[in-house]
Amino acid sequence: MAGPTTPAPTAGVLESLSNDLAGAVDRAGQSVVAIHARRRIPASGIHWRPGIIVAAHHTIQRDEEITVSLADGSSVAATLVGRDPTTDLAVLKVDEAKVPVASFAESSGLRVGALVLALGRPGSAITASLGVVSAIGGEWRTWHGGTIDRFVRLDVSIYDGFSGGPLIDAGGRVLGLNTSGLSRGAALAIPAETVNRVVDQLLKSGRVARGYLGLGMQAVRLPAALVERLQMPNDIGLMVVSAEPGGPGDRAGILIGDVLIAVGDTPVSDPAELLAFLGGDQIGKPVTAKLIRAGEPTTVAITVGERPQQSRGSRRGR
Amino acid sequence: MTSGLSATSATTEPLGRELADLASVLRQSTVEVRTGGTASGSGIIWTTNGLIVTNAHVARTERAAIILWDGRTFDGEVTARDPRRDLATIAIDVGSAILPAAAIGHPTDLRTGDVVVALGNPLGIAGALALGVVHVVEQRRGGPRWIRADIRLAPGNSGGPLADAHGRVVGVNTLIANGLGVAVPVTTVARFLGDAEVERANVKYRGDRAA
Repeated sequence: MAGPTTPAPTAGVLESLSNDLAGAVDRAGQSVVAIHARRRIPASGIHWRPGIIVAAHHTIQRDEEITVSLADGSSVAATLVGRDPTTDLAVLKVDEAKVPVASFAESSGLRVGALVLALGRPGSAITASLGVVSAIGGEWRTWHGGTIDRFVRLDVSIYDGFSGGPLIDAGGRVLGLNTSGLSRGAALAIPAETVNRVVDQLLKSGRVARGYLGLGMQAVRLPAALVERLQMPNDIGLMVVSAEPGGPGDRAGILIGDVLIAVGDTPVSDPAELLAFLGGDQIGKPVTAKLIRAGEPTTVAITVGERPQQSRGSRRGR
Repeated sequence: MTSGLSATSATTEPLGRELADLASVLRQSTVEVRTGGTASGSGIIWTTNGLIVTNAHVARTERAAIILWDGRTFDGEVTARDPRRDLATIAIDVGSAILPAAAIGHPTDLRTGDVVVALGNPLGIAGALALGVVHVVEQRRGGPRWIRADIRLAPGNSGGPLADAHGRVVGVNTLIANGLGVAVPVTTVARFLGDAEVERANVKYRGDRAA
């Protein structure tokens, strides 16, 4: 190699940005751990509170023999405190974690256009991707009926092992937990406020209780004459297509083929509306189900049960 | 942190200017490598007297056309090829001209999160810039093995520079794996050039497939 080379341009702001981002990764990365609880590459987790690790439920594919690798290179055994499949969160406990707990950003930091980094530790080294918050919305409900306080969509590339890692701002403060388990592959973040709520519930009772009817439903369109006769607000009902034997619906005498049109005073025309109704506060309470059975309206009293816990993570998602 | 208008004038505008400046400088040191057919790759002007570094999978043939950013075209001779490292050198005769050789950086100093840029001819678009960050620098005994970057690359970026925030080349963009750009660090290029010096008299040309 010889001769004069082209002088590199002086980098003022770009260099500062680079230093800021690398510094943010270094600081926040101290509380990002690798979680070994599945066959393929490890997933990520966050040292959320002293001795408490938060991860993505779908990446925890076994309930025992879970180990966690920390930023200082050490490995510790972790026990599963509980999981909430409805928000794709799991909480683990470790005896000794000589790494700092994450520091958190104000929730006002979640703004469309905000520069963010997604961190992961799918092994020993910290990894990062850069992007922006692409959309923010209000409270939303996941496929499985969990409530997420805000919808946070990211324009950030997601890579293997990224789920369970933190979304951080340019100052290295945690805004939320990233997962691909709540959407078909798109990057979403669960805001820190939701994680805190679920962590509190899991630490208290080991689970996040959800109401349960033990019925499989399918939305169906009802005949116009019937809709008119019953003065229904819309022409969609939920047809029962399966009933868990001995489940709350079965015990109440619900039959396959019944079409549910309301629970209590709440009309239901979408399974999501029923899931929204079945919060943990409904467990043990009697509700009046309004049905159409053999073309005629009828009511059945059902005592809401508790949704059985799903133990394993799915193999979907990153 | 500042906010509002002051942030725009103090940070964002200079950021855009610096990126544009950096791209225009790096572009001078990036070449297009054509070996016939429709596909082309990229290369890096390593020395002012016409040594080009690229990927072995770009320099598949004995000779390659080297097209500079200013349009000058040279007939290049592939002088060394290492399919294992996926590196090759191409020499062009520039007479008394002095080419704008790339500034070379230090991949060992890279940290996860550092800003990186890539220059090249992705999908035949000459001199295209991409911006990203270091995802991870994969280490092995004695130094970095691969630089994995969260950056959007495409075929045609192969052989072109990955550079730091100063525009100093830290790697040779080589492949895309799981969406990540993967670059051979310039420390590996230096070792390759040292070996190539020794083996110059004994260059083999083989139609190896891309790594």
